[in-house]
Amino acid sequence: MDFFVPLDLREPINQAVDSLVVRYGDRLHVLNDLILQGLLLPLERALRGAPPWVILLVVALLAWRATRRWQVALPLTVACYLIGCFGLWDALMQTLALVLVATVLAVVAGLPLGIVAAHSRRLRAVVLPVLDVMQTLPTFVYLIPAVMLFGLGKVPAILATVVYAICPLVRLTDLGLRQVDPDVQEAAHSFGTTRWQMLLGVQLPLAWPSILAGVNQTVMMALSMVVVASMIGARGLGEEVLAGIQTLDVGRGLQAGLAIVLLAVAIDRITQGFGRVRRPIRDEERRS
Amino acid sequence: MQRSTCSTLFALALALSAGAAAATTSPWCQSGKPVKVAGLNWESGELLTELVATVLEQGYGCRVERVPSNTITIENALAQNDIQLVAEEWVGRSEIWNKAAAAGKVKAVGNVIVGATEGWYVPEYVVKGEKTRKIRPAAPQLQAVSDLPKYKQLFRDNEEPDKGRFLNCPSGWTCEGVNSQKLKAYGLTDSYVNFRPGSGAALDAAVASAYQRGQPVLFYYWSPTALMGKYRFIQLTEPAYNEACFKTLTDRNQAKPCGSAAPEAVIQAGVSRVFHDADPVLIDFLGKFNVPLPLLNAALAGMANNPGSAAVQSRRFFATRPDIWRAWVPDDVAQRIAARNTGK
Repeated sequence: MDFFVPLDLREPINQAVDSLVVRYGDRLHVLNDLILQGLLLPLERALRGAPPWVILLVVALLAWRATRRWQVALPLTVACYLIGCFGLWDALMQTLALVLVATVLAVVAGLPLGIVAAHSRRLRAVVLPVLDVMQTLPTFVYLIPAVMLFGLGKVPAILATVVYAICPLVRLTDLGLRQVDPDVQEAAHSFGTTRWQMLLGVQLPLAWPSILAGVNQTVMMALSMVVVASMIGARGLGEEVLAGIQTLDVGRGLQAGLAIVLLAVAIDRITQGFGRVRRPIRDEERRS
Repeated sequence: MQRSTCSTLFALALALSAGAAAATTSPWCQSGKPVKVAGLNWESGELLTELVATVLEQGYGCRVERVPSNTITIENALAQNDIQLVAEEWVGRSEIWNKAAAAGKVKAVGNVIVGATEGWYVPEYVVKGEKTRKIRPAAPQLQAVSDLPKYKQLFRDNEEPDKGRFLNCPSGWTCEGVNSQKLKAYGLTDSYVNFRPGSGAALDAAVASAYQRGQPVLFYYWSPTALMGKYRFIQLTEPAYNEACFKTLTDRNQAKPCGSAAPEAVIQAGVSRVFHDADPVLIDFLGKFNVPLPLLNAALAGMANNPGSAAVQSRRFFATRPDIWRAWVPDDVAQRIAARNTGK
């Protein structure tokens, strides 16, 4: 009688989540422990334990190595120093650990996926729409089930971040590989390269700038998830922002927000630098 | 003996005559003005608003407008008679309410919820075990917050494995500050992590997940709520309420707070002064309006479980529990409500 056929997905989904929690919750909590103890906590402890000047020195060296310009490296280091001046150094290290682990996991999962997608048209037709869904689904919708399955805190935050941030890496890896000059590949082929040699020696190096652009985007999206992740109890800069806005302490929220921006700028310049450097060097090599 | 019988009879007669006089008509609604009711947006507030609105509409033939808004705006609007009625007002918890009440602009009526609780909870099976799911009691001796240091391994925080995890309120809630002070007052800062879940939904999800898996969890919670209706929790005992000590708990900057349970919550219906003076009939109803806490918790659990809103639970309540709502209103009003809620 109604124009719209009544459809209700709520109950089946609720029941599915409940039974997942009862059946696999304990095992997934163990996985949570493994990621924490094996990956995140050691890194976090190292970052928080290291004297700040060591970290700043590493930032300076990385920035210089990436851009080869002190005019860039120095301001970036000063920016990180500033975050410490705000009294947010500890929160910064926690956030950095979270973003780094999320990025590493995204690369470990995303790079192979991108490579496979580049080589199989059929797989690409499946992978890309799934990525679109992962990127557009409102984050909170899967954050809360993630909490039920993995527990509160950093691990579900990392997993949600990977889900959200993996997309550009897969896409740009796929795109980069498919845009490798066919002539070059044919030439390599005629020298009798195996498929692995072709991938590792020809395709990946030539697609490198595109892949690094993907990594850059992934890190940026991971950083933008930091505040959302704090809504399920991940500590760090995001928690500062959340606490600030929830108590109407706009200054506190904005200060922590600014710290996130500074961190983002630093990571962005460094990763972009690494993506760009390759080309000029190669040109020089060719000339010599 | 005889005197008391006599006075009971007299009181009865008085009540009957008052009932007869107040019976049918509400002056406010009779004059054609709508009753503007605050559209509260938390679980219990939603349901109570629905119940009140139903009585007003079906029983007294009022025109009811629901005005959705947040608490602060609602209390301001009530003080200015922009809205007339708030179904669930935690009296004395907000500055705005206190000022408006002192100025005589708002009135609190009745006892909408009696025995609302807040405090630190663990699932019942942690202390008593649970036969149906074969859960052994993990901490049979656990009773009070002072026992907690012994059990820090039970409530282990996997991000800081040598401490226990206490699930606090999300930052930005009043209770978050109070609980943080309580951790200090009870000497738990060394043995427990003050874990802020970030959002109410995350807190609920963490507690529900632990309960479904039969795992120990230590958390702050309150009733009336859906989880309280759905699951069995045990509240840990705290030192009795003490006004001076509770002040040290509400002040974040107190370095050495002393422990105290929360004061008893006074939850009433809030009405604007104008409405209060204009309509003794509806005020009489609000004075009797009360939903027993276990029933309320169960209804809220039903709301959370079923794809159904407060309206569905409200309809079910009026169809199945006349024993409760008939006490709120005079007979003829009750008849009208009953007539609308049976043949379903």
